[in-house]
Amino acid sequence: MISHRDNNTQRIAALDERAEALKLKRGMGIADARAMHPSIDVVEADPEADRRLLEGLADWCDRYTPLVAIDAEDGLFLDVTGCTHLFGGERAMQDEILTRFFQQGFDVRAGLASTPGAAWAAARFHGDRIVTGGEEKALLSPLPLSALRIAPETRTGLESVGLRTAGAVMAAPRAPLARRFGTTLLLRLDQALGRLDEAVSPRLPVAPLSVERHLAEPVMLTDDIERLVNRLAIALKTDLERRGEGARTLALLLFRVDGAVSRIAVGTSRPMREPRLIQRLFHERLTALEQTIDAGFGFDLVRLSVLSVAAFDLVQGDLAGEADDDEADIALFADRVRARLGEAAVLKPVVVESHLPERAVKTVPFAEAPQRRAPAAGRATPRTAPPMTVYPPERPVRLFRSPEPIEVPATEIPEGPPMNFRWRRALYRVARAEGPERIAAEWWRQLPGEEEAPTRDYYRIEDSEGRRYWLYRQGLYGSAPQAATPRWFMHGVFA
Amino acid sequence: MAMSAVARDTVFALRRQIAKIEGTLPERLQAPAPGAPINAGGSDMTLVRRGLAVAAADAFLHTGIDRLDTALGGGLPKAALSEIHGLETRDAGAVAGFALSLVSLILKEKQGLPILWVGTAEIFHEAGLPYAKGLHALFGIEPEQLLFSEAPKLLDALWIAEEAARMTAFAAVILEIRGSPRLLDLTATRRLHARARNAGRPVLLLRQAGAADPTAAPVRLIVSAAPSTSRETVAGPLAGSIGRPAFKVDIGKSRTALPGQFTLEWNPNEHAFAERAENSVAVVPTSQRGADPAPASGAVLAFPALAAPATGDQPSRQQHPAHRSPRRAG
Repeated sequence: MISHRDNNTQRIAALDERAEALKLKRGMGIADARAMHPSIDVVEADPEADRRLLEGLADWCDRYTPLVAIDAEDGLFLDVTGCTHLFGGERAMQDEILTRFFQQGFDVRAGLASTPGAAWAAARFHGDRIVTGGEEKALLSPLPLSALRIAPETRTGLESVGLRTAGAVMAAPRAPLARRFGTTLLLRLDQALGRLDEAVSPRLPVAPLSVERHLAEPVMLTDDIERLVNRLAIALKTDLERRGEGARTLALLLFRVDGAVSRIAVGTSRPMREPRLIQRLFHERLTALEQTIDAGFGFDLVRLSVLSVAAFDLVQGDLAGEADDDEADIALFADRVRARLGEAAVLKPVVVESHLPERAVKTVPFAEAPQRRAPAAGRATPRTAPPMTVYPPERPVRLFRSPEPIEVPATEIPEGPPMNFRWRRALYRVARAEGPERIAAEWWRQLPGEEEAPTRDYYRIEDSEGRRYWLYRQGLYGSAPQAATPRWFMHGVFA
Repeated sequence: MAMSAVARDTVFALRRQIAKIEGTLPERLQAPAPGAPINAGGSDMTLVRRGLAVAAADAFLHTGIDRLDTALGGGLPKAALSEIHGLETRDAGAVAGFALSLVSLILKEKQGLPILWVGTAEIFHEAGLPYAKGLHALFGIEPEQLLFSEAPKLLDALWIAEEAARMTAFAAVILEIRGSPRLLDLTATRRLHARARNAGRPVLLLRQAGAADPTAAPVRLIVSAAPSTSRETVAGPLAGSIGRPAFKVDIGKSRTALPGQFTLEWNPNEHAFAERAENSVAVVPTSQRGADPAPASGAVLAFPALAAPATGDQPSRQQHPAHRSPRRAG
C-alpha cells in the first residue's frame, strides 16, 4: 500500500489486490486503514520515481511507434496509426504490448480506438478492448462521467443535475451545457466521439528518418552494435540520397531485452550520409560510454534515427575518387573528438568586436563556429599589404581565463608601473615596463543601476629574467575617497 | 672487384640496420651512384650518420639561423615529433611563442592550413589559453586557422593528439603538457612520432615544468625567455622600451649535435628568426679527448682562441693563468 500526504492527512494513494480484498479504498485515511487492519504495510509515495518509471516505459514503447505521449501520472498514449500492420494487426499488437508488459511485471490495461478520448475510456473502463471507428458512442454511453476526462467539479455539477452517464450528457441539449459547465465538457465529448481532432503531443520530436532492426538473438558486444550501425546507416543512406539531405544529428536507440532503453546521440558539424563515417562517430561515442551502457542480457532492437537533417551538397571528386578535402577531414576529426569527449572538446576562437581583451576573442564549440571561409585567391598577403600607419596595441600570446590578483607593495609613481610584484607566491623584479594602455569598461553593456566597472591601466612588464607579462591596475589612485587602493592583476604573458 | 661488392653489401646491410633502429624506411635510403668509388679496403670508410639526413632534403624546417640549423643537423625535422621544454610554468609564454614562431615558419610553405592546439584543462588553467589576437599580430596566424582542444584528462589529450597527428589536414599539431606524467613515456612519444612521420606533419610537444624524460622525439629544445632589446625607432633604440620577443634556446637532445645555446629574436614583421650576436657565447666546453668533432657549428666569438682545432687538447695559457703564475712568483 502506498500513502501520500493530501491536505495534511496521510491518505492511501494506491494499493494492491490483497489490500483491496480487505475493503480498503483509495483516498482513505491511513489512520482509518490502520485501525481496521493494523498489520498493513504502508510505503510513502515517491512521485518522482513514478514519473521516471513512466518515462522509462514510454522509452520502451518507442519500439512500437515514434509517437508516444505521457498521459497524466499513470497513462501512456501510443499513436499507432500506420504501425499496426508491422505487428500483425491491431489485436495482435495490443496483445503483444500487454504480454510484454505482463512479463515485465506490470499490470496494464489497454484500449485501442480511433480517438484518444475513446481509447482512454476503453482502457480505463473496459480493460482490453478494441473500438473500431464509429463505435465510440456505443462505448461511451453506458460509462460514468469520469470516462469523459473532465474536472471533478464539472462532474459533481453534472451529477447534481441528474446527468450520471456519458450517454445522458450526450443526449442533453448542447447550448445549456456549454453555458453552465463551460466549453471544456463539450470539447472533451466531441474529441472522444471523433467530431474534433485531438493531437497527442509526443514526448520526443519525431525523427524524419529512422531505420531499425529487430534481432532474434540479442546482441551484447560493442563490436556487434557497431556493425549493426553500419548496416542501418547503409539503409539510411538511400533515403538520405533520395531526399538530397545529410544527417546533422543522429541517435542510436538500443532496446534492452528487459525493457531499458539507451539513447546515444551524436552531432556532426556538416551533413553526413556516409555509413563508414557514421559508424566511426558511433564507435567513438560507444567507446566513451562503454562504462555507462550496461548491455545486460543484450539488445533485441536497434534503431538508428536521424534527428535533424540539412541539405547535402554533392562535391565532385577527382578521377582517383578521393576528393582532397581538408575541411571535411577536420570536420570529421572534430566530430569524433566531440562524440567521445563532449561538446566543448574542440574549440574555435572567434574574434568579437570589442576592446576588452577577454571579450575580444571568445572560444566557441567547433560545431557552432562559423564555417571557415576559403582563402581567397587574390587576397593580399600581409607582406604586400600597405604599411599600417597606426600600429595595433600589442597583445599577449597567452591570456589567463580570469585575471590573477598580484601583490604590488608600492609603486614609484602612483600612476606608474610597479617595481616588483608577487605572483603565485614568487617575487618578480620589474626590469622594464611599457605603458599604460588604458582600457575602460564597456558602458554600453552596463545594466542600468549597475556600478560602473573601473578602468584598467595595462602595462607590459619585463622581469629581471627576461619574461614578459601583461599586468593591469584596476581603478585609479585617489579617484574616489572611499574607494580602496587599486588592485593589480596579471592578465597574460607575452612571448 | 669482388671485394668491393662484398664491402658494398656489408655497408648496405649496416645502413639498413641503422635505418631500422632510427625508424627511417630503408626505401628512403639513397643508394650511392653506381659509379661512385667505394674504398675496397673499407677500413677508413666512415658512414656519416646524421639523424634523418638519409631522408629527403626538404625534410627539415630551416630556422633561418645557420648555426642552429647546422647544430640540429639540417634543421628541425618536419615529419617528426619535436619536444620543446620550458623549465618552469612561468616560461609558458616563451615556450608557446617559440613553438608558434616555428609554426609560423611552417605556414610560410603551407599557407592557410589550420593548427590544432591540444592541451589538458590543467595547463590551460595554469598557463592561460593562447590568445588569438596576440598570435595574429606576432605570428600572422589567423584566428580562423586555430583550433583548440581542451581535454579533461591527459589520456584524452594524448588520444586527440594521436588522432590529429595522423591527419594531413593540419599544418602542425601542438600538444601541451605540464609536469612529467607517467603516461607520457617512451611508448606514447613513439606513437606520436610514428604518426607524425607517416603523415609528414610536425607534432610539437610542449612540456612545461617537466623533467627530461626518455623520449622518442629526435629533437628536444629547452626554451626560456631572454631579455628583449629596445624598440628600434628612427632616432635609434628607444630606452626603456620592450622590443621583439627573444628566446634562449638550448639543444637538450639532438641526434647530431652537441648541446648548445642560442639566443634568438623573432621578427614579427618578416616572420623570421634572427640570432642575437652579442650573446652568442659558446657554453659547450671543448672536448677533452680529441679535436672538436663539430667544427662546423659556427664561429665562437667570445673565445676565438679556443675555436682553433689545434688547441683543442691543451688548455691555452690564457685560460689557466691562475694556478701557474703565483707559483712562479713565489
